Amino acid sequence: MPRQLSTSPSETGSDAMNAVTIPRPQDLNGLDDESFRAVVRRFLAENYPPELRNPPKRLHWSENKVWYHKLAEKGWLCPGWPQEYGGLGLSPGKLIILTEEYERHGVARTNDHGIIMLGPLVIKYGTEAQKQRFLPKILTGEHIWCQGYSEPNSGSDLASLRTEAVLDGDHYVVNGQKTWTTLASDANWIFLLVRTDKQAKKQEGISFLLVDMKTPGITVKPIINLEMHDEFCETFFDNVRVPRENLVGQPNKGWDMAKALLSFERIFLGSPRQSAYALARLKQLAETMGVAEEPAFRDRYAQLRLDLDDLKALYGRFVEVLKQGRSLGPDVSMLKVFQSELFQRITDTMLEIAGENAGLLEPIGGNLNLNPTGQYIQARPTSIYGGTNEIQRNIIAKNVLELPG
Amino acid sequence: MSEAAEDDRAESIRMIRDSAAAVAPRGGDSKRVRALRFTDPGYDPAVLRQMGEMGWIGLRLPEAAGGAGLGMGEMCALAEELGAGLAPEPLIPAALSAALLGYADDQAALTPLLAGEALTLTAWQERADSLVTPGTPDAKRIFVPMAGGATQFLLPLREGTRMALHLLPAAGADLTIERTQDGGTYGTLRPDLSRATRIADDVGGVIGRVLDEAALATAAYLLGTMEAAFALTLQYLRTRQQFGRIIGTFQSLQHRAADLKIQLSLTRAGVEGAAAAFDAGATGDAARAVVSRAKARAAEASLRVTRECIQLHGGIGYTDEYDAGLYLRKAMVLANQYGSAALHRRRFLETAPEDEE
Repeated sequence: MPRQLSTSPSETGSDAMNAVTIPRPQDLNGLDDESFRAVVRRFLAENYPPELRNPPKRLHWSENKVWYHKLAEKGWLCPGWPQEYGGLGLSPGKLIILTEEYERHGVARTNDHGIIMLGPLVIKYGTEAQKQRFLPKILTGEHIWCQGYSEPNSGSDLASLRTEAVLDGDHYVVNGQKTWTTLASDANWIFLLVRTDKQAKKQEGISFLLVDMKTPGITVKPIINLEMHDEFCETFFDNVRVPRENLVGQPNKGWDMAKALLSFERIFLGSPRQSAYALARLKQLAETMGVAEEPAFRDRYAQLRLDLDDLKALYGRFVEVLKQGRSLGPDVSMLKVFQSELFQRITDTMLEIAGENAGLLEPIGGNLNLNPTGQYIQARPTSIYGGTNEIQRNIIAKNVLELPG
Repeated sequence: MSEAAEDDRAESIRMIRDSAAAVAPRGGDSKRVRALRFTDPGYDPAVLRQMGEMGWIGLRLPEAAGGAGLGMGEMCALAEELGAGLAPEPLIPAALSAALLGYADDQAALTPLLAGEALTLTAWQERADSLVTPGTPDAKRIFVPMAGGATQFLLPLREGTRMALHLLPAAGADLTIERTQDGGTYGTLRPDLSRATRIADDVGGVIGRVLDEAALATAAYLLGTMEAAFALTLQYLRTRQQFGRIIGTFQSLQHRAADLKIQLSLTRAGVEGAAAAFDAGATGDAARAVVSRAKARAAEASLRVTRECIQLHGGIGYTDEYDAGLYLRKAMVLANQYGSAALHRRRFLETAPEDEE
C-alpha cells in the first residue's frame, strides 16, 4: 500500500519523533539522509498548519501566506538556494527527500515562483545589484513572483513567442499577451520571456525580463479552469516601460537560461506521489461502493499498484542520478509520461466504479477522500502542463532513441 | 419493412432531427447552456414546455394515450440531437414517467406532463449503479435527475408479488439536492407514504422495459455529445498552428483522431441497431442485450472521446470558458446514469445468446 497521507508522522512514531531535534538551518545539509528525513517530518509536524493539509485546489496567497511566513521565519523558505543568499544550501539528494516528505505530509504549494524559478535564475545569471535587490524580498515575502512564458499561440511551441520588448532609451517597451500565468492575480512581480530580436532564429531572439506589475499598461484577467478555480490568468502588456537594468543575463540569451533552469525541476513532474495518493483514494472508493472484493476490480487494482511500484523504481533511478551530482538527460521525459497517464488511469477507474456519483460536483457525502470527480478533473491537465505528453514522446523518440526525422 | 415504409421512417427521423436542432443547435453557441448551469432548477421550464408542445415527452406513447406513437428510432435521433446541443432539460426522465403514467392510464397526471407544464419524475433508484427497482417502501430514493424542478414524483412500491405505483406531490416532500458536474442536480427523496396516492396496482411488468428505453435514449444522448466534442476537436486540429504547421498534419494526432472516429462509429452502430431492434419488436433478453451493448459502448466511448477532446486541445481545453469542458462534464454525469459500462457488460453476458461459431 502507498503510505496514507491522512496519517500524520506524529501519530505513527511519536516516541521516535520526540527524540528528533531540529538543527540550525545551516546544519541541515550536513545530516545523513535518514536523520534529515526524520528532521523534516518533525519540522512539518510542529510547524505545518493542519488545516492546510492536502488542499483540493491550489491555494491563493491569502490562504498560504501563513505557511510562507512560517517557512521564512524558520529559515526554511528557500531550500535549494546557497546559504550565502539565505537558502538552506541543500544538495539535490536532500532536496528530493524534502520534497518527498512535503508531498507525503500533504503540504500545499505556496506562491513559490520566486523561490524555485526566479531566485535560482538570478543567483546563476544575475548581476550583484540584481541579487541584492531581488533575493531578500523573496525571503521576506515582499515580492510575490509569477511566470510569464506561454502565450495563446505559443504553447508546445514556446520558442515562437511574440510578446516583444523594444529598447527605447533606458527602457524596454513591452507589448503582447501571456497566458497560464499561475496566480498572477496574487503577484506583484512577473518574470517574462520576451522577443528582443525578430530577425534571429526563434530561440536566439528571446530575453529574460523582470517587470513590476504595478507598471502602467499591465492588465491581469483570471482564467477559470475546469476545477472552477482561478489559478491561472491571462496577462496583457500595452506599452509597458521596463527599466533596462531589469534584464537578466545577456540580451537574446533568455531561452537558454530558462531551459537550463528547468532540467532539475523536471523530475518532480514524474514524482509518484500524485498517483500514490490517488490509488489510496481509489481503494477507499472501491470499499465504499462495495466492489473492492470483486475479481474485475482486484485485477485492475493489482495492475495499477504494479504500475505504481514500477514507477517508484524508475523514479528512484533518476533520483540516484541527481544524488551523484549528475544532471538529468532527456530520458526523464519517460517519468512524466508514465506518471501522468497512471494518475489518469487511476481516476478513470474511479469514475467507472462510482456509479451515479461520477456525476457529482462535490465529494461524496462531503468526504474529501471520496472525490472521484474532483480527482478525474485534476488529472486532465497533468498530461498537458510542463510540456504535453505529445512533446515528451517527441523528446524520447528524437533525443533518447535518436530516431530520424 | 417495405421500401415505402422505410422511406417514411427515414423521413420521420429526419424531421425529428431538424426540429430538435432548432431547439438545441448542434455546435451552436453554448450561451443558453452556460446560463442555466448551477441555477435552480438547472434547465429552462419554457424550453421543457416547448418540448412538450413538439410532442417529444410523449413521443413513444400511443396516439390514443395522447402521445405521438413514434418508435425508438425517432427517440434516439431526438436524444442524440439534444446531446449534441447539451440540452439540460430532463426529457429522458420525463418520457420515462410518461410511459408509466400512460400504462397507469392516469390522464390527470399525464396531460400536464406531456404538455411540459408539470414535471413528474420517477424515484425508482435505491442503490448506486443499478437498474433494478426493489420498491422498498421506506427506502430513500437516490439520484433523481433534475429533482429540483419536479412537481411530483412517481414511486414504485413493492406489495407482495406486485409493484404498485404511487404519486407523491413534490411540494412538502423531504428532498435534498446535490449539484452535478454538468450544472444540473441529483435529488435524494425520503418518501412520506402518507402523502402518496396509489395510481396503479402493478407496473412490475413494464418498469424494466421503461428503464431500458431510458438507458438506450441516454446512450443516444451521449452519442450526440461525443459527436459534438469530436467535431470541435477536428475543427481545432484543422486550424491550430504550432511549429509552423497545422497540428492536424502531425501523424500521431491523425491516428488518435482516427481511433476516436472508430469509437464513434461503433457507438452509432450499437445505438441505432438497438433502436431498430426495439422497433422491430424485440423483447425480453434480446432487447436487454442490445440496450446493454449500446450503453456499455456509449459510456466508455463518451468518456474517452471527451478526455481526448481536452488533451488534443491542450491548455485551452482545460479552461471553463472553452466548450470542451462542457462535453467532458456531461459525459461524466451520463456515462453511469441508467447503468455504468460495467453493469451493462455484466448484463450483456447474462442476456445475449452465444454466437455459434
